[in-house]
Parts: sequence; structure tokens; C-alpha cells
Amino acid sequence: MGNYHVPMVTLASMLDTEILVAPRMTRRTLELGTRYSPEFVCIPFKYNLGNFIESLESGANLLVQAGGGCRFGFYAEVQEAILRDSGYEFEMLRLFGSFELRDYHRQLRRINPKLTFRRALWHYRLASRQTNALDVVEDYSRKNCGFEVEDGAFERAFEAFLGKLGRTQSFAEVDTLERETLEELAAIPTERPDDALKVGVVGELYVVMEPFSNFFVEKELAKRGVEVHRHMSVSEMIAHSGRNGPKHLRKLIEMSGPYLHYHIGAHGTESVGLARQFMQDGFDGVLHLKPFGCMPEVNAMTALQRMSRENLFPILFFSYDAQSSETGVRTRLEAFCDMLRMRRRRDPGLAEAMEVCA
Amino acid sequence: MNATVGLPRALLYHKYGDLWTSFFETLGVPTVVSPPTNRAILERGSRLAVDETCLPMKIFLGHVDELLSKADYVLVPRVASLVRGETTCVKFLGAYDVTLNSIPNARLLEYDVDVVNGKRQAPEMRRLGRSFERNVTKVMYAYARAYRESKRRHLEHARQQERAALAPGLKVLVVGHPYNIRDELIGVPVVSILREQGASVLVAEMSDASEAKSLSARISRDVPWTFNKELLGAVEHYRPLVDGIVFLVTFPCGPDSLMTELCVRRLDGMPTIVLVLDELQGEAGLRTRLESFVDLLKMRPGGRFATDAVMGVRP
Repeated sequence: MGNYHVPMVTLASMLDTEILVAPRMTRRTLELGTRYSPEFVCIPFKYNLGNFIESLESGANLLVQAGGGCRFGFYAEVQEAILRDSGYEFEMLRLFGSFELRDYHRQLRRINPKLTFRRALWHYRLASRQTNALDVVEDYSRKNCGFEVEDGAFERAFEAFLGKLGRTQSFAEVDTLERETLEELAAIPTERPDDALKVGVVGELYVVMEPFSNFFVEKELAKRGVEVHRHMSVSEMIAHSGRNGPKHLRKLIEMSGPYLHYHIGAHGTESVGLARQFMQDGFDGVLHLKPFGCMPEVNAMTALQRMSRENLFPILFFSYDAQSSETGVRTRLEAFCDMLRMRRRRDPGLAEAMEVCA
Repeated sequence: MNATVGLPRALLYHKYGDLWTSFFETLGVPTVVSPPTNRAILERGSRLAVDETCLPMKIFLGHVDELLSKADYVLVPRVASLVRGETTCVKFLGAYDVTLNSIPNARLLEYDVDVVNGKRQAPEMRRLGRSFERNVTKVMYAYARAYRESKRRHLEHARQQERAALAPGLKVLVVGHPYNIRDELIGVPVVSILREQGASVLVAEMSDASEAKSLSARISRDVPWTFNKELLGAVEHYRPLVDGIVFLVTFPCGPDSLMTELCVRRLDGMPTIVLVLDELQGEAGLRTRLESFVDLLKMRPGGRFATDAVMGVRP
């Protein structure tokens, strides 16, 4: 997912096995996944299954799947059944449940009996440090790359960073790399207009964090000179997992104000809480991304639609499935940005139009 | 306080209806139940809901809307988890907030069952009861009585079916959530078409929920949803006794999208049919598919009903 394969390789290298990074995603990944998936399962399932098939084709024989709070918790078992019925031979490791390192360690010992807890912990901590650095750097470029003077400057710097990150072997190296990269990015000449638009991105974790699956909406926004903010990242998820979970949820429900009274499942509560925060912080609009039929996010949408209606706050909803088209997404994004610009100029005609819509 | 409480005949009503009715009756609170689902209710619900909402949730919203003019309050509980380590479908987690956001002027009554986070049904129902009756003992009595009553009726129902399962004749198991099977627009037509074709219909429901859960592990060990576990257990329980299985799924049900897939793959040699229903469903298509399914069961070589006469007709 996204660029997280870099820390994942660090994590997996504790198993002392050969590691295959799944081939880069293409349309074929989705086609393969869709062919073998149940018809109206959510799209991350289809991408995952496509990734697995492509990995198996290139010789992998151990697959790892995690699990979470919605349908995701049931992915592994069904995917295993589908792949076995299709004639693939492999072993599947399911990592989920309690987010207790000891539990994970016990499961991982099955693959590598020589793995000590200390070593597992070291790999885990290095991988989280790398994840953290990755998220910090990505966040900075999301906010600034829309204003670069020379096209592609941020992307080039970022690619170089990604390559180096994979070779880091210690905390100190990651620290240095993070600092240097941030300095390097800050040195890239940018031109920021005074009235730059600010848009927040919320939604379901997979389509938000895997740019291929959302047709690179963040990049598209940046190209139109928008400052893109997004809170969701793997570092955030790690920080709010396990014991910190309930407290974080209470805070999010509080942030949601009148729109939520209870937790509505997976990241739905977060979408509502953060969107309201963006609204109160004076952002120009919010982008809500989700796979078609995603249950927690459909719950969230009722709250978001009401929020948008009652406050005349622009929220654009994207729902992805195997038939979504990139052109459609791009057209709607373009119109959204134009609309936000017009709103900024306090176009009286627009205010009237919005009243009518509401 | 002499307010009327509205009970939407959708979703959890089909599981807790007896409990609620008896609870409020003992407390002396008048209740109104919305009529069986009809096209108008579904249309009201569809208008209120986000497009991608699942069919039963749309129907639910329609029922709540229907009750607004008939009752002072509408009961919309949140049932998030019933047992440690399991959850219910996400739509039940969001039911209260979704209803309030879709119909902001609705006056709702709620209680919150979330065992994973330490909220159990009995104290939550007592809290609900206290808003009508100040005397705690009376509320506790009402709950205890309602609980006993609803359990008795459930057992009676399930035992009756377990006896029917042993009777001779062509038997078809319908697997679907109670709120779908008992819904006038979704499940009732399916069951009656099957009966017209001469099949006796069993629904995936067992008298003993804990037995159902342990049986469900034979099909799936990871399924996280309590209600789906109970369905899977019933599939395993009735499997040797029936001739075919109908999976009744509503579009786009999250849990069922995966559970049905796994089930069909694990039920080797059992004739199955998966019916996915949405609000555009016409009866003719449904009838044709069910008729041919039952015909197939009758003709199936090796099936219990393969007679020479029927076999002779085959090309």
C-alpha cells in the first residue's frame, strides 16, 4: 500500500527468507483480482487478491495478510480459500487481533524458529521509525509540491529519499536521512500565491493511502495549486492502536460535535471528526474517498452530507470500484477546484446556487 | 409520562421485537409497530438514505420516517457487540447516528449494547426503562419478564422448525438475516414461491445459539460477525437434512459478500443458489430462478427425489 513496502521489507527481513515485493500495481492487478473476487466485495479486497496472484506468479510461497475492524478482518480466510481453489500452493500468515507484539512474535516463530523476541522488536521499531520518516516527508511534499517552480522537483527528491530509506540500517541513519531530506525539500524553489486553496482528505484507509487506487487524487489536486492536508497515515494508525484506541475514539466523537454520538465503525468516526476539524480550521473543502459499499464510510457519509448541507461547506465524495474511470474522477476534481476558487472570490451567483442546492 | 413509542418493523425488530413489545407493555407504555414493509416505505427510505446504503437499512429508515407522525418517540438502539471478540455488522454500530443525520428532526429513544466496551443489554434496557418509570424494581421486573418471554417464544419457534426438518419431503434451507427473511418485500416472496413449488422451507435459525457458534467454526474460523456466525452454524446443522440451500443476500451487504463466497466454496456437492436482491427487484425474475432451482433439486440424479418418471423427461 502506497510506499509502505519499504518499512515492510525491513519488518519482513526478520524472517530470514527471501522477500519479494509485489510487482507495481497496474490495471492488470485489478483485473486479476476482480476476476476471482466476489462480485460486490469492497475494492481493497480485489486489489489485495490481484497483488497476491501476481506475487504467486513471480514465485512467492508465503503470503501475509492483516486484519481490521470491518470486512477487512475476514479478508484472509476468504482470499486463502479462493487462491487454494484456483490451484495455488502457498502458506498464509494471518497477523491480527490484539496488536500485542508477543502474539505476533509467536506467530512469526512458525516461519523462522530462530527468531528471538529482541530481534523481532528491533525490526519492528526500525520499521516504525522508517514509517514515521516516510509519513513526515510525504506530508511535507503533499502540502508544498503543488507550488513547485520546476515540474517534478519534489517527486525526484522523494524518489531518491525512498531509495535511501530502504538502505537505512539504524535509527540514527533514519534520523539523519529524514533531516537531510526535509532540508533538501525546503530548498526546492516554490511560488505560493496568497490565496492558495487548502483541501483536506479523509476516508477509508486503503483508497486514501494507495494513490494508484484513488487515481492519484492528491497529485491531481497539487497540480492545480492546492495545498493538500491529510491526517491518516500508518504512523497515525500505530499511535492510536491498542490501548490508546478508546481514548482516541472519544476525542474523535467529541470533534464530530452534533454529527456523531457513537463510534460508527473502522475509520468512519475519524472521517467525520477530521472533516469537521478541517471545516473549523477554515479549509476550503474536503475530499472524502471510499471504496464502493464500504460500510463504515457510508455511515460517515450521512453525517458528512448533513454537515455539508447545514454549513454550506463543500465536500466532494468519491466512491471507487472496479469500474471507476480516471477521467471521471479528474473531471469532477477539476470542477471542484474551480468551484472552490469561485467561492473564494465570494462570487454572489455561486452563493445563490449553493443555497438552491442546499 | 404517557408517550407512545414507535417500533420500526425492520432490522433488529425481527430479533428483539418480542422483547421490546413485552418490556414496554409491562411498563404500561403504549407502542406502535410500523406496518409490514411496502413499496412506499422503501421509497421513503431510499430518498432519505445515501445511495450506497444497503437495502435493509434503507427499509429501516423508511419505517422510522413512517412512525414519525404516529408515535412520540422511535426506538433506534445501537447494538455493536454481543459477545467479547465479536462484533455485529457495521450498520448496527451506526444505526443511531445514521438515523439522526438522515432525519434530523426525529425524536429517538436509544440504548447501547456494546459488550466489548462493557455495555451490557440488561443495564442499558433498565436505563431506557427509567425514562418512563421511576421505580427501579418495576423496571427490572419488566425487563426480566420480557427477556423470559422473548426467549420462550424464540425457543418454541426454533424447536418447531427442528421438528419440521426431520419430516420427509423436499426441503430447502433459506440462509439470510432474519430482517431479510421476514421482510414483506425481501424474504416473504422468496419463501412463498418455494412453498408453492412444493418445497418445505427451513430458515437458518437454531434454538441454541452457542451450539450454532461452535458449529460455524467448521466452515469459517475468522468470521467476526455474531449474526453471521449464527447463520453459518445453522447451515452446518441443517446441511445433512436438506436438499438445497438458497442464499438470500441484499445488495451490497458487506458481511454476506464474503460469507456467501466462502460458504459456497465449502459446501461441496450441495446445490446452492445465491439470490442478490435490491430495490429494483421484479418478482418474475425471482420466480423463474426459484422454480428452476426447485426443478433441478427434483431431477438431480442421486438426489433423494430422482424418480424414473422425472428422469425420463430429461433429454
